[in-house]
Amino acid sequence: MQTRYKNIYLIPYVLWIVLFVIAPILLIIYYSFFNIEGHLTFDNYIQFFTPVYLKMAASSFWYAFLIMAISLIIAYPTALLLTRTKHKQLWLLLIILPTWINLLLKAYAFLGIFGTYGPANTFLQFIGIGTKQLLFTDFSFLFVSVYIFIPFMILPIFNALEELNPSLIDASRDLGGSPWTTFRRVIFPLTLDGVKSGCQAVFIPALSLFMITRLIAGNRVITLGTAIEEHFLVTQDWGMGATIAVFLIIAMAIIMILTGKRRRG
Amino acid sequence: MTEQTIIRFDQVTKQYDHDQAVLNNVSFEIERGKFYTLLGPSGCGKTTILRLIAGFTEPSQGKIYFNGQIINTVPANKRQVNTVFQDYALFPHLNVFENVAFGLRIKKMKQSQITEKVKEALRFVNLEGYDHRTISEMSGGQKQRVAIARAIVNEPEVILLDEPLSALDLKLRTEMQYELRDLQKRLGITFIFVTHDQEEALAMSDEIFVINKGSIQQSGSPIDIYDEPINRFVADFIGESNIIPGTMRQDFLVNFADKDFECVDKGFDANEAVEVVIRPEDLEITEPSLGKLQVRVDSQLFRGVHFEICCFDEAGNEWLVHSTKRAQVGETIGLNFSPEAIHVMRFGETEEEFDKRLEAYDG
Repeated sequence: MQTRYKNIYLIPYVLWIVLFVIAPILLIIYYSFFNIEGHLTFDNYIQFFTPVYLKMAASSFWYAFLIMAISLIIAYPTALLLTRTKHKQLWLLLIILPTWINLLLKAYAFLGIFGTYGPANTFLQFIGIGTKQLLFTDFSFLFVSVYIFIPFMILPIFNALEELNPSLIDASRDLGGSPWTTFRRVIFPLTLDGVKSGCQAVFIPALSLFMITRLIAGNRVITLGTAIEEHFLVTQDWGMGATIAVFLIIAMAIIMILTGKRRRG
Repeated sequence: MTEQTIIRFDQVTKQYDHDQAVLNNVSFEIERGKFYTLLGPSGCGKTTILRLIAGFTEPSQGKIYFNGQIINTVPANKRQVNTVFQDYALFPHLNVFENVAFGLRIKKMKQSQITEKVKEALRFVNLEGYDHRTISEMSGGQKQRVAIARAIVNEPEVILLDEPLSALDLKLRTEMQYELRDLQKRLGITFIFVTHDQEEALAMSDEIFVINKGSIQQSGSPIDIYDEPINRFVADFIGESNIIPGTMRQDFLVNFADKDFECVDKGFDANEAVEVVIRPEDLEITEPSLGKLQVRVDSQLFRGVHFEICCFDEAGNEWLVHSTKRAQVGETIGLNFSPEAIHVMRFGETEEEFDKRLEAYDG
């Protein structure tokens, strides 16, 4: 009787998963076996292993990696600093706040900021460097992407640091560890789970970025995400788009498995 | 200050921000190779003393000496002391061996030497063969031993123990009391043990510092402190006691419960108001006519080793008696006690004055 009740509670969840997770994935896989004329074929998969798409995949991974690495380098010290401030919750709120604003709005805001007559260039001129082409460069693409993703890196690291038992730090100091040794041998290894979650939360969505590549990088940076968008909306080659999506899903799954939480002792 | 002194506190005060001082002008000396206990209720400042010695915090005022050198601002990692933490603070990402080896690896010791020393330390705490266990596989008592091994492997001059037994069950706690005492004797180094458990303090220490509200109330051997508490706080905190208001008639004669009693205390003013301490186990139940004091039994509790009997005398004082004899609630009984069982305390006496007075009538 009791188990039956529990099953009733599960219904909305199962419905959701089936409709919005399993069905779309099955559809994507299904479409990936059809070419643009609607014939059943493996051509899409063969085509994916041509230099064009492999290069695109490599560039996707490379940019996602850069975004993740830069976010991590900025986020870890920030999180460490946050745990030592007095008004932790307030600072944390300020960091989370931008995530409540629509992604598109933020991207458009950066179009203005980085534009030829935008504040960034005015500043460069003011300090004597002169106007530079900021938009549609790797720099602006990475800058905006890091800006958008960094809260998702800071939060899990911050939580991991908060959970760290402070007497472990005392213990390390007590046993002769300098502040740096303590960080390297105690604090960092014990917050590695937070770092992994943060990397996951940044790397995976960064793999399929497409809007920022268009708006900020002016399509100079072509990722798998942009390719999918092109195939579905412009070339109408749903089969190829779906095939790329299949590879993205596989890549994401592999990353999830690699960075997944291992039970530690 | 002698050769034997290893740690000295000179009028140390510790204050956080604008709060009341946690430690107030505390001075004491710690000698080499002894077992010290800092005993007091929670929040009394005993852990702060430990943290000051370990170097986790700096004094607001005063000086801390270690081997004759001022160490006020020396960071924790540069001090010759190691701590056994209350929650053990073992590193969960390292196994038992690596936990113990942590300090040695920082010293960049050779691997062969590390292996040898870690094995020896683990043997010392009876954990041979546990090297590769993870911390989560260890029981509370075993974690305790790993924490001790991790401290002693560095061969510190002083080991600080912050309520290390409080998380263990009663039986294990008693066992560890013997083990810690034995370990300290075998190692011959100074142990400073912090606890709020008076039984632990009495059982293990060479010397006890009783601390309350940021200052040391009394220091001395367990027997001294138990038998001759300096004030109401110490008498009450260490063991159970009957503390009765009285007057000192003259040397060796004290009045309480409206009667005069022979005692062994002197050095008071004539008719000085005092407090009298008699331990419950020093009171003996007899026939009313044979007792020095007649009391009515109010309640009785069986405690296993003894009955705890609560009585009232005619003057309204409450008397706690520990006796193996059973009494009847409501009956009147006699209480007998020797003059030595009476301990007289002067109001507001400092430890110095107290010691001086005791010396005067010992000699």
